[in-house]
Amino acid sequence: MVDFREQELTVLSIVGKLGGKVSINQLILESNLSDSAVMRAALVLKENKFIKIFAEPHTLVNLSPEGVLHAKNGLPERRLLDSVIALGGAAELEKAYKKSGLSSQFEQIALGWILRKKWSIFDSKNRLLKLSDPRKLVPFEKDEKLLGYLNGKKNVFLDSISDELQSAIDVLRKRKLLFTEDKINRVFEITTLGSETLRGSKAVVGKVTQLTPNLILTGKWRKVKLQEYNIKAPVAKTWSGKKHPYLRFLEEVRTKLVTLGFKEMTGSTVELSFFNFDALYTPQDHPAREIFGIYQLKNPKFGDISAYASTVEAVKATHENGWKTGSSGWDYNYSREEARRLVLRGHGTCLSARTLQSKKFEIPCKYFSIARCYRPEVADKTHLSEFNQVEGIVVDDKLNLRDLLGVLAKFAIEVAGADKVQFKPDYFPFTEPSVELSAFKKGYGWIEFGGSGIFRPEVTLPLGVNVPVIAWGLGIDRLFMMKSGVTDIRDIFSQSLDWLRRKEVV
Amino acid sequence: MPTIDVNYAEFENLLGIKLHYDLEHLDEILSYVKSEVKLLNKQEDTLSIEIKDTNRPDLWGIEGLARGLRSYLKLERGSRNYIAKDSIVDVNVDSGLKEIRPYICCSVVKDLKLTDTIIRGFMHLQDKLDQTYGRSRQKTSIGLYDFDLISSPLDYVAVKPSDFSFVPLGFEDEMTLSEILEKHPKGIEYGSIVEKNDRYPLLYDSKQKILSFPPIINSDDLGKVTEKTRNLLVEVTGTMYQTTVNTLNLVTLALIDQGGNAYSATVHYPMDDFYQTKKDNTPVFKSRNMRVDVEYLRKVLGVELAPEKIADLLLTAGLGVEKIGKNYVEAIVPCYRVDVMHQVDLIEDVAIAYGYNNIEPLWRDLPTTGSMRPEQSLIDITRELMVGLGYQETLNYTLTSLETIFTKMNLEKQTVVELVNPKVVTMTCLRNWLLPSLMEFLSNNQSVEFPQKIFELGTVTLLDETKETFSRDEFWLAGVTTHPSAGFTEAKSVLDSVFMNLGIDWSIKKGSHLSFIDGRTGKIIVDKSVVGFLGEINPEVLEAWKLENPAAAFEVNLHKILFSDH
Repeated sequence: MVDFREQELTVLSIVGKLGGKVSINQLILESNLSDSAVMRAALVLKENKFIKIFAEPHTLVNLSPEGVLHAKNGLPERRLLDSVIALGGAAELEKAYKKSGLSSQFEQIALGWILRKKWSIFDSKNRLLKLSDPRKLVPFEKDEKLLGYLNGKKNVFLDSISDELQSAIDVLRKRKLLFTEDKINRVFEITTLGSETLRGSKAVVGKVTQLTPNLILTGKWRKVKLQEYNIKAPVAKTWSGKKHPYLRFLEEVRTKLVTLGFKEMTGSTVELSFFNFDALYTPQDHPAREIFGIYQLKNPKFGDISAYASTVEAVKATHENGWKTGSSGWDYNYSREEARRLVLRGHGTCLSARTLQSKKFEIPCKYFSIARCYRPEVADKTHLSEFNQVEGIVVDDKLNLRDLLGVLAKFAIEVAGADKVQFKPDYFPFTEPSVELSAFKKGYGWIEFGGSGIFRPEVTLPLGVNVPVIAWGLGIDRLFMMKSGVTDIRDIFSQSLDWLRRKEVV
Repeated sequence: MPTIDVNYAEFENLLGIKLHYDLEHLDEILSYVKSEVKLLNKQEDTLSIEIKDTNRPDLWGIEGLARGLRSYLKLERGSRNYIAKDSIVDVNVDSGLKEIRPYICCSVVKDLKLTDTIIRGFMHLQDKLDQTYGRSRQKTSIGLYDFDLISSPLDYVAVKPSDFSFVPLGFEDEMTLSEILEKHPKGIEYGSIVEKNDRYPLLYDSKQKILSFPPIINSDDLGKVTEKTRNLLVEVTGTMYQTTVNTLNLVTLALIDQGGNAYSATVHYPMDDFYQTKKDNTPVFKSRNMRVDVEYLRKVLGVELAPEKIADLLLTAGLGVEKIGKNYVEAIVPCYRVDVMHQVDLIEDVAIAYGYNNIEPLWRDLPTTGSMRPEQSLIDITRELMVGLGYQETLNYTLTSLETIFTKMNLEKQTVVELVNPKVVTMTCLRNWLLPSLMEFLSNNQSVEFPQKIFELGTVTLLDETKETFSRDEFWLAGVTTHPSAGFTEAKSVLDSVFMNLGIDWSIKKGSHLSFIDGRTGKIIVDKSVVGFLGEINPEVLEAWKLENPAAAFEVNLHKILFSDH
């Protein structure tokens, strides 16, 4: 005797009814059950050896846009061949091209393949294209047949293509005329035990498996026996909604910084070169401002700096000759036009420059920002072209290098949970002195966790600030990667739903 | 950040101590000059060193790096004195150059014993200086020649591109200057620097033998340096005088450090108001004096240091001391420290010599109140609501492509914030809505279990001529659900729940949007204005993203809702 719950019976009957082998999508459609309910039922059935579950891989074949074109018009080399035949079996290459009606991008391809397939020979001295054997017809080859077969079709199963044509798939794939995709489909197959049970199962459902509202209201529940469950049977996974682990980590960082007395600054993704570079004492011919150092914009190209006219003049003088900062300056001709150039902000420090420029702060004050920043890099294990920076400033008239080290040590302990810290000389064009912070954490070892410095007088004075400003930045990506076990920085922007679903929250 | 490759044995040799390939010790030493080991290759005995300071070209060669480190290692004290003997070569500058490449600085270094390793080191230094300090040869470029083959005086002239031809380095046939720009790899690479003028710079000697076509290429016969070369002519041309002479100084000093004896050159500039001097003697190894104010130093470092101690630390840092005053120290800045612009640069060197880890960190409890950006609480609450409704949060790039945000969404292309210099075709512009990011995410996850419900609360960037950056950022919310029976009512009910919890009254109005199915989409209205849309995704779009299940989605401008006074 076997006891089923209704859903299990439904699933088993559908599998039986549809010939013993059914895909999960068919089952969902036929049963009107949700896919999790189907899976749950299927897993119980499998546990009882009534069905088998297969994960059947299959491959789909599709033509690329270029493939679709050639499927319709014929391969370029075939079209070139036809035009040579039409021109009497030999023709000047350019004439043959013209006759073939090939668009120019396919001409070289056609020539390459017509020679490779030995359909024609090319007399390069006279630029003559001749049939290899004028007496013989050139039959359609396998690649052309396959192309013909796929013409107008979509998502063709690889298995449905004949063995002869399958052998041409590689050729067309290498020519980027088609592409293949591997998919997985779950298929349920009824077992002999399953079929036999199904036949006699009607009688079985007499026992109550599901406690229904009707049973409760009528009091009938007293008279029926509630079937015992196999509580060890596996259940389908329930995926809860969750916050993104990196964004949750940023929330923690944000909360920590607020607790430490920092106010959050915000700014725009598109930034004036003036704030991204000039106000931070980066000379206008600095390599970091060139196309391999910063994203420049095609549209919009230039912004408006008229609101900052007097600051621009002070910055200009500082770059050119030091102005009244006591510095020698960079000794070049500063361009206001260059200051207006728009870029995607390359660091969060421009927000600090804007805050200082605005004068809307009290002394003392502490600020931070969590800013999406951009650099023209090709992403790899350790680089992203788009990333987040946590940066900020501390402003007070008494601040010095000791405070700077103190701020860094505080971050290391509060944000990174470090046991030990170490300081090293560092370089930023806008701070002097500059310090690199390394934090030691048991189990993690030493990590470079931050960089900071005291803004140069060439930065603060032109912005109208004459008290010391500590500028700091934290290497939070590296901290996140360590905490979450991510080894490839690209996984911060993970496109894997499965990883996000399974990633533990702690 | 410049990375330099040096020969390990040569590095120890110039440094004067053995380091026994001890990486930790090497890094500790290099940290004095803000550098670290990137790679130690014992097999080839080479060392790659990354120098973080982009403003210290004196460290970008093995000789200068050793010079910078020796004082910190107490192997010598103070700044090095260098001399160049009297001029033994003259250079005449043609007035036609003033708008093209006005300056030239030269020196001669004799009695060199060059090895292959040293020559390669110099090529490397020359390249770093050309690329970074010389801004890809735009600002300055360096040429080295066999002095024994050259006869003084030299002429630095502006000539017509077709009038002169010579055999450029690495080639066998003569080429005119215009041919060099067309055919020589260096001509192709750097041609744009000179192309805009109708005359090009050229350097030849008294016998009309061509030395080089600055800043492009040397001649093959005079501009080739080998192990047999004993005496070198160094030449730097440039557009800014100070940078030109600084570059010459740096190269000449490195050659002196390799045992050479330096001689000066006399440059004769034309009678033209453009040039401040008519006769210039190069190189210029003159040091500068700069005052370190004891009180200012105390304010910056937070450490009390007596003038004598400051002087001592300056010497450790490889700087000189002219005079110790009561409340100041007069420091001597050698010519190769071109980075020093302000006394704060010297104060940092004092701190490094003192040791950052010998300074006690101080945490002052400043009376400040922290706060998040005003919109953060709404953002976090909304994210929580979406999570509670079973949606997985995603994080996506804001850089995308027109194909992603328009074509694949069945929309006509519009203008958005677009990049001049994209690195990959999939990242050429900033997104102006979120849903394409979510569709892309789904298309990457078609083999993962359904139903799939995801959302993002993120930034979009819109063009806006009223803003100083001609654009503005807004935070929007988009959610999408996809499974075999996903549909309009599901999405509507989710959005309704979010709005109800946020206390927002909303309604929906008929509207069409090409990314959605006609008749199954609507505009979201809050406070009588459109703040987003909701609907079932158009199968055209599903197909474009290769999605196999129906999908329903919504996208809302939360920014507008928060900042409008509803």
